[in-house]
Amino acid sequence: MVLKVSDLSVQRGRGLALDHVSFALPAGSLTALVGPNGAGKSTLLQAIEGQLPLTSGAIAIDGHPHTSAEARRQRALMPQRGEIAWTFPIRVRELVALGRLTSQRAGCCDVEAALQRVGLASLADRRLDQLSGGQQQRALLARTLVQPARLLLLDEPCAAIDPPTRTELLRVMRQLSDAGLTLLVSSHDWGQDLDAYDRVLVLDRRLLADDTPLKVRQALGDLRVGNHCCG
Amino acid sequence: MEPLWWLSPFLLALMVGALCPIAGTLLLVQRRLFLANLVSHAVLPGLAVALALGLDPGLGGVLSGVGGAALAERFSRGERPGQVGDDAVLNTVLAGFLGLGVLLIPLLRIRLNLEAVLFGDLLAAAPTDLGRSALALLAMLLLLGLRYRQLVHLGVDPLGAASAGLPVRTLRLLLTLVTAFTIVSAMTAVGVVLVIGLMGAPALLALPGSFSLRQALGRAALIGTGLSGAGFVLAVQPAVNLPPGPLIGVLCLGLLPMASWRQQRSGND
Repeated sequence: MVLKVSDLSVQRGRGLALDHVSFALPAGSLTALVGPNGAGKSTLLQAIEGQLPLTSGAIAIDGHPHTSAEARRQRALMPQRGEIAWTFPIRVRELVALGRLTSQRAGCCDVEAALQRVGLASLADRRLDQLSGGQQQRALLARTLVQPARLLLLDEPCAAIDPPTRTELLRVMRQLSDAGLTLLVSSHDWGQDLDAYDRVLVLDRRLLADDTPLKVRQALGDLRVGNHCCG
Repeated sequence: MEPLWWLSPFLLALMVGALCPIAGTLLLVQRRLFLANLVSHAVLPGLAVALALGLDPGLGGVLSGVGGAALAERFSRGERPGQVGDDAVLNTVLAGFLGLGVLLIPLLRIRLNLEAVLFGDLLAAAPTDLGRSALALLAMLLLLGLRYRQLVHLGVDPLGAASAGLPVRTLRLLLTLVTAFTIVSAMTAVGVVLVIGLMGAPALLALPGSFSLRQALGRAALIGTGLSGAGFVLAVQPAVNLPPGPLIGVLCLGLLPMASWRQQRSGND
């Protein structure tokens, strides 16, 4: 297993943001992490990133404790749009190259190959703020690809982009998982796009479902009756 | 009057004119320009104590400025600047340190020209002021030379920088140190209050349309040097005869419409 989360609880403020969550992701899997606002999706990604103290439980990446140097090398995070300073004076190529800043080891692509892979090669010398929202998301994904990681954590990469760009991003993600990378993708999307994933984890502080898209959709119907999740 | 009386003040104006906008641009892209305002006021207690102890006032000012910034960071509510409540913390620390400085002057019975500290006295520039500014410029160039890409990463994506294992706290501390050093070195030229104009205004004009941080820093330094030099030359004209520091501060205002125009133009690219 590339990622193994065992009985994980994380406290934020007075309450538990994550409550005894367990799951494991095999190599080459493309997994969606869905749940309503405040369900703990970003908290889970931040915990895997080692940015939050664990109240209980454990996280292992490729068998290494998640805070170890080896685990850090094996994972890469594509943050939410709101975390990025889009008006920062930087060319697309320079942004992508930042992914190699802390490691001498190559990722699955070098800078040029990553730009090609996400379809931004012709825009590499543009300023970041000259790109559309979807292009900016693809630039961030390219930066994630140049990191020498086997586990990619993508925090709402499809937020605020149009349907064609979303389809294109999902296609790139599928290519990456087919190439052996493991992707955990948080999303607000409960619609047909879920079918693009191998597995779906439904989180609402606790793990409510962990199954194929079809089975999770069936389970979601039951959950909606119980008013647990927003649609 | 000596024929070259103007040389030291003019050189100081040019040097500070380059240095302050570089520091300001770095802070602005890190979304931490508030630090300039805070540190500029927080240097005062350190200046007073250093003078009372017979030490270099610049050293006391730097330590006190960094102390004020560290205190504000300690009590700010979140990791990211600009969260609710942060402004109140910053203003409280700023006022507290300024008040402490004003109180220490009579308490320690030191002679300090508070007006010159706050608003500058460029015409009184001495070789020690030039040396201090040169050292601050050197510290800034060292920081940029050794940590440029890390600062870029931290500016574009602070969360990603932390996640990638960059020494975020160290980088921020270094930036605060160099900011405090910059402000203290600009004290004679424009004073610790007016320095914030020289840090912010050229950065606002330099950033729109820049393709890299390096380019923005270069542009800001050029704009600041031109502004500061022109302010000095204008101030010492017999027909004008005004204190250069405040005049440079006023000239900074003139950059705002230009910055706004460039921002719109850049947005239309």
